[in-house]
Amino acid sequence: MIAEAPERWEAALKVAGQAVFPAETPVENLLHAVLVEAPIGCGEILAVDGEAARVVPGFADLITYAEAQELRAFGVTALIRQPVIHFPGQPVALVAADSLQAARTAAASVRIEARADLAITHLDQALDWAYGPALAGRVPAETQRGDAAQALARAALVVRGHYETAVNNHHPMEPHAVVCWWEGEQAIVHTSTQAVFATRSAIAHAFQIPLETVRVVCRHLGGGFGCKGQLWWPWMFQAMLASRRTGRPVRLELTRAQLFTLAGRRQETRQELALGFDADGRLSAIDHQVLGQTSTHGEYSDPTAGVSRWLYACPNVTTAHRLVRTNEPQPVPMRAPGIAPGLFALESALDEAAQTLGIDPIELRIRNFAGHDQQADLPWSSNSLLDCYRQGAERFGWADRPAPGTTSEGRWRIGWGVATSCYPAHRAAARARLRLAPDASLTVQCGTQDMGSGTYTVLGQVAGEALGLPMSAVTVELGDTLLPEGPVSAGSMVTASIFPAVDAAVTELRQALAALAVGDEASPLAGQDPADLGFQEGRIVSRTGNAAEPLAELLARQAPDGLETESAFEPPQTASFSGMGHGAVFVEVGVDPDLGEIRVRRVCAAFAAGRILNPLLARSQYVGGLIGGIGMALHERTVTDAASGRILGQGFADYLIPTHADMPDFDIVMVDQDDPHLPGGVKGIGMLGTAGVQAAIANAIHHAVGVRARRLPIRIEDVLGA
Amino acid sequence: MSDFQYARAGDVAEALRLGAAPGAAFLAGGTDLLQLWKAGVQSPGQVIDISRLPLKDITAADGVLTLGALARLAEVAAHPAVHPLIVEAIAASASGQIRNMATVGGNLLQRTRCVYFRSHDLACNKRSPGSGCGALAGENRQAALFGTSQACVATHPSDLAVALAALDAEVEIIGPGGTRRLGLDELYRLPGDTPEQDANLAPGELIASVIVPAFAGRSTYLKVRDRASFEFAVVSVAAALRVEDGRIVQARLAAGGVAPRPWRLRAAEAALTNGASFAEAGALAIEGAQPLADNGFKIELLRRAVVRALETVGGAA
Repeated sequence: MIAEAPERWEAALKVAGQAVFPAETPVENLLHAVLVEAPIGCGEILAVDGEAARVVPGFADLITYAEAQELRAFGVTALIRQPVIHFPGQPVALVAADSLQAARTAAASVRIEARADLAITHLDQALDWAYGPALAGRVPAETQRGDAAQALARAALVVRGHYETAVNNHHPMEPHAVVCWWEGEQAIVHTSTQAVFATRSAIAHAFQIPLETVRVVCRHLGGGFGCKGQLWWPWMFQAMLASRRTGRPVRLELTRAQLFTLAGRRQETRQELALGFDADGRLSAIDHQVLGQTSTHGEYSDPTAGVSRWLYACPNVTTAHRLVRTNEPQPVPMRAPGIAPGLFALESALDEAAQTLGIDPIELRIRNFAGHDQQADLPWSSNSLLDCYRQGAERFGWADRPAPGTTSEGRWRIGWGVATSCYPAHRAAARARLRLAPDASLTVQCGTQDMGSGTYTVLGQVAGEALGLPMSAVTVELGDTLLPEGPVSAGSMVTASIFPAVDAAVTELRQALAALAVGDEASPLAGQDPADLGFQEGRIVSRTGNAAEPLAELLARQAPDGLETESAFEPPQTASFSGMGHGAVFVEVGVDPDLGEIRVRRVCAAFAAGRILNPLLARSQYVGGLIGGIGMALHERTVTDAASGRILGQGFADYLIPTHADMPDFDIVMVDQDDPHLPGGVKGIGMLGTAGVQAAIANAIHHAVGVRARRLPIRIEDVLGA
Repeated sequence: MSDFQYARAGDVAEALRLGAAPGAAFLAGGTDLLQLWKAGVQSPGQVIDISRLPLKDITAADGVLTLGALARLAEVAAHPAVHPLIVEAIAASASGQIRNMATVGGNLLQRTRCVYFRSHDLACNKRSPGSGCGALAGENRQAALFGTSQACVATHPSDLAVALAALDAEVEIIGPGGTRRLGLDELYRLPGDTPEQDANLAPGELIASVIVPAFAGRSTYLKVRDRASFEFAVVSVAAALRVEDGRIVQARLAAGGVAPRPWRLRAAEAALTNGASFAEAGALAIEGAQPLADNGFKIELLRRAVVRALETVGGAA
C-alpha cells in the first residue's frame, strides 16, 4: 500500500501556464479555421457559395462537401460528405485564413442555399416512432430475468414512478481543438481527445493512409467527461483537409456555444420504474423502462436501466431502452453514463419503499444486498458496499436521523438522504515502457492521454516508488501515438489498465537490476539472493541492510546505456468475476419551502474502489464527481426551443453549473478494499462520485419537506409551498 | 462580431456629440456590451468609450446620496454613505470580478437576459423588430408577469435598479438639450409595440448620476435564484419600512425579475400604511399578474417573497 500521496506532477506547469494544451501547440505559419453553420435545422444543402469568402483578405481555403469527397465514406465522415442537415448548428463548411478575424469574416460571408424540411425538435413529437436499439451503452438494450410482471402482480408492495432527467452538456474547461500539419505524407495532429489511438485509426481510415503515417498528440487535456471522442472527428478532418490542401498548419477550436451542439450531450431520459417487494422489504420484481433521444445521424442509448439488473438481489427483472430520433444534437456517454440517471430513479424508488414499509433506508438496502452479480451470474471480485453503508453512516451520523420534516434552522428545513452509487470496474489492454537512464533517472511512457485526472502523477508515483526513486527523478510521457499503446480515457479504466502494465514493467526492471547486481563481482551485493534485494533512495539494497549500491554505479558498470523494459497488460478474455466499485452517499439539504430554494449543506460519501494509489487524486476525483452530480440534480439543463430547434442560452449565463457557494463541505471516506481477483487490485473511481448523489439529494428533499421530486433538475417550482 | 469604430470621449461634451451619431453605443464597464457584441446581438457602428469621464463621484449631502453613473458597483457597495438596501442589492449581483468592472449607469441600462434576445438567430422583437417573440410560446420560465405585451415578455435583470426604485431614486440625464431628471422607474419603457427601445433616452443622452433621497427606515433586499451565487433573480424584492409607534408610516416595495422594469408595488405600499397585514400586502403584490406557460410559479413566489421581505424588515406580523 502506498502511504505517500504525491501532489499532482503537472500542477505547477498548469498553474504557471506552461502545460501546453493542443490548441496552444507552437507552430509557424498557422492558419486559423472557423466552422460555417447551416442556416437550417433539417434538410438539404443545395449549394455552398464561397465567392465572397475567397476575396476576404487573408482567406486561405474553404472545405465543403465537395472537398470532403476525397475522404473515405463511413459513419464518421457522413456529416461532412453528405449535404444533409440533421440538427441546427450543424456545420456545412470550414474556412481557413491567416487570422481568426479573417476566418470569421470569411465564414460569415459564405452563402448557403438550402432546402428546409420539417424538423422534429422534441422527443414528444415523435413518440410513435420510438424503437428499441440493440445496445444500451455496451450491453443489450433489453433483458429479462424471471417474470417481473407476475411478481409485481403478487408483490406485497409495489412502488411505481415516472422519472425524468434533463439533457446535460459535458463542458470541459478546454474546448475541443486541433493544431495539425503534414510533413510529406506524415500527418501530425495535436488534438483534444480522450483517445489518441482511436483518433489515429480514424484518421488513417478516413484519409486512406497507413496508420504509421499518422501521429496524434495530446499531452494535456482540459477535461473530457465523455465528449472528446468521435463526434469531434469530422470537424478535425476538415481542418486536416485544409492543412493538406494549403500546405500550412491549421488550427480549429470549438466555441463554448458549439459545445452545446457539436460535442455530444447527456441523453435526456423518461423512465418508468416499478419495484415489487415482499412484506419484509425484499425485492421480488424490478421493471425499468427507459425512453431517450438520439439524433437522426447517429444512434446511442445510455445503459440507464443497466444498474437495475445487478445492484440489488432480485429474481425477476425486466429492463428495456427505447429511442426517439429528433433533429437535435447527438447524445454520447457523459460521466457516469446511464448509471447516474438510472440510479436517480432506482434509489429514489428505494427511498419511497423504505418510507412506506417503515424500514430505515440503509436497512432496506442491506436486506437487498446482492451476494453475487445476478445479471452476469458471476461472483463479485470484491464487494464492500455494506462497509460503505456502515462507515458512511457512522461518519455522517445517520443513526441520529430525525423524523421527517421535524428539523429546521432559520428559514431552512433540514433533510437527510442517502443513496447507493456503483460503477463497473472496466479495464482494457495497455502497454507501458520504462527507461532507466545511466544516471538512474526514470522515464515512464504510455501513449494514453491524461484527462486531467492525474495519470501522470500516479504512473510516476508507482514506478518511482517501486524503484526507490524520488518523484524528482521520474519523468512521465503520455498522450502520443508514438508511445506504447494504451486504452481510451473512458469507463474509468485508464489507471486500472495502465497500472498493471507499469507494474509488470517495473517488476521486470527490478529483476533485471537485481540479476545484474548479484552477478557482478564488483558490486557489494555480489552473490546475494536476488529475492532479498530491495530498492530505496536511489540504491539497490539487501533486505538485511548489510550491503547496498547506488543504482547509478551499478548501471555505469553493467548497463552504461541504461535499461529499458516494456510490458503489456491484457484483460482476461472471459471474466470469472464481476468487478464493481461502490459508494454510499449521504446528503444534508436545506429547503426553504416558502421561497423554493434548495441548498446542499453537507455531503458525506464512502467509496470502495479497490486499491487507492493516491488518496489526494482519488479525493479530487470523488469531489469533482459529486459536484457534477449536484449540478445534474439541481442546476444543469439544456433546453431546445421547440419552434426553431435551436439550443437556448448557449453559454454559462444560462446553463447553470454549481458555483463555489453551491458546494458544501465534502467528507470523503475511502473504504479499504483488497481485491485479490482484479489485476493490481485497482478499480476505476472517476464515475463513482457522479452517480447516486442525485437520488441522495432528492431523498433528502423529501425528508425535509415531503416532496418526492422525480424530475431533474429539481428547481424552485418543484418545492415552492411544500 | 462586426467591426466598429472606437473613440474615447475626452469630456462629457464630446461624448454627447459622438453618442448622438446613429449606431453609436456608449462603453463604460463593458460587462454587457462586449457580451452582446460577441454574440452578434448588438452591432454598434461606433463605440464611444466614456469610462474615463469625470462621472464617478459618490457623494452624500443633507442625506441625499449621489452616485456618479461611472462609479463601479464594487466602489458603491464599499462606500460608507451608501444606503444598505443598495449595498445588499449590489452584493447579490453578478460576481466579484463583474462588480469591479460594471458601472452604475451601465447596470441600469443592461439589456434583458431573455435567451431569445441573446441568441442572434431566434425570434425576438426587442433585438430584431418584427421577427416575433420566441418566448411567448416558447421557453418562458424567466419571462415577466407584469407590463408585458404580445411583442415582448422580457424582464429587466438589474438588482440595483430594484433597490433604487424602492428608494424613490431619480436619474439625472444629460443630453444635447441639457439636463433633466427622471424617476428610476420612469427611466424604463414598457415594451408595447416597440420593445426594441428599453429606456426613455434619446440618442446621445447619457445618465450622469443617480440621486437617492434619504430614507429613514429599515430595509432588505431579497433575491431568490436557482443557485446560491452569480445568477440573475428568478424573483427579487426590495422592501423598506418606516415604523413609528408600532405603525407603518412609510412603505416601499419593488420587485425584480417580474417585469420589463423594476416593478413598484404601490397598491401593497398604500395598503401597508393603512394598516394592512403583510399577507394582505403579498396578495396585493400579485394582482394583475399575467402568467405564461412556464412562469406561473413566479406569482406565488412573488407573493411569498414580499411577505418574507416584509417580515425580515418589520418582524413577523
